[in-house]
Amino acid sequence: MDARRFAALAAAYGGDLRRWPEAERMAGAIFAPSEMGDAILSHAGKLDAQLDSYAVEAPGKALHGSILRAAGRHLAQRRRQLFWRMGLALAGIGLAGAVAGLALVTIVTPEVQPDHYVLDANATAFGDAGPDGDMIEEDL
Amino acid sequence: MSADPDEELVRRVGAGDPAAVQSLVARKLPRILALAVRMLGDAAEAEDVAQEAFVRIWRHASSWRRGNASFDTWVHRVTLNLCYDRLRRRREWVTDDVPDVADPAALPDAHPREDAQRVERALQGIAPRQREAIILVYYQEMSNIEAAATLQISVDALESLLSRGRRSLQVILARDGADG
Repeated sequence: MDARRFAALAAAYGGDLRRWPEAERMAGAIFAPSEMGDAILSHAGKLDAQLDSYAVEAPGKALHGSILRAAGRHLAQRRRQLFWRMGLALAGIGLAGAVAGLALVTIVTPEVQPDHYVLDANATAFGDAGPDGDMIEEDL
Repeated sequence: MSADPDEELVRRVGAGDPAAVQSLVARKLPRILALAVRMLGDAAEAEDVAQEAFVRIWRHASSWRRGNASFDTWVHRVTLNLCYDRLRRRREWVTDDVPDVADPAALPDAHPREDAQRVERALQGIAPRQREAIILVYYQEMSNIEAAATLQISVDALESLLSRGRRSLQVILARDGADG
């Protein structure tokens, strides 16, 4: 790593090599003890020290509790939605079963035969023995 | 792609496990709040943002799947978007012609130490994109790759934002120090 890249990294990531890109940390650590490296890190470290002074307070109990209460409400609402969805799904499955059953009964059940048969004068055991309509037309 | 340390916890939250909900809040709330406080410079607004961020987490936990980004990256993106909504609203409320440097008097007096207040003012005085980059890498301790993914920019662009941001901070802090 040359001084230019070292300075660019310090300008971007600061004087602490732990914040530098992982791939360049080793090369940076080799350059760091040089006179130039030390000066660059020292300069970047001044801003780091100022940035470190800006600490943020930990979240208060009120905020923590409020977020957990909102989570509880959301989970309860989700459970209700799941319950209704499951109910609708079961109802759908039941309806689909009923329709399928009806369709099956319609297809499988044989056509109902009349329990009596009206014999006319031309009917025989081999079918209708009356004059053949087609032949009559041909003869004409 | 390395394993996401939050993935299992998020899956449990999505399944409605109350213990997982508590663990996730304990793990993420300090990070989300710190990010929002430093982005907005206002503790009360940051708390609102944190609450809104968690509402989004609860809403998406059951369907959240790891794509290119980790859960932490996604949470940071959500929080930053919420912060931007607030910053935009502020701009609309105050004036159409906002100065680049925020008025120090308008910022809340939440930090007792003078150094911290100076840094807070300086952070509010730089461009929001530069502020985001510095907060993610410096304060949130994200790697350059994670921060670039959160900001949806290249690592080179991130480095440029960081350099310009730190330079601007040095100028503002030097001026503020000379004035004070």
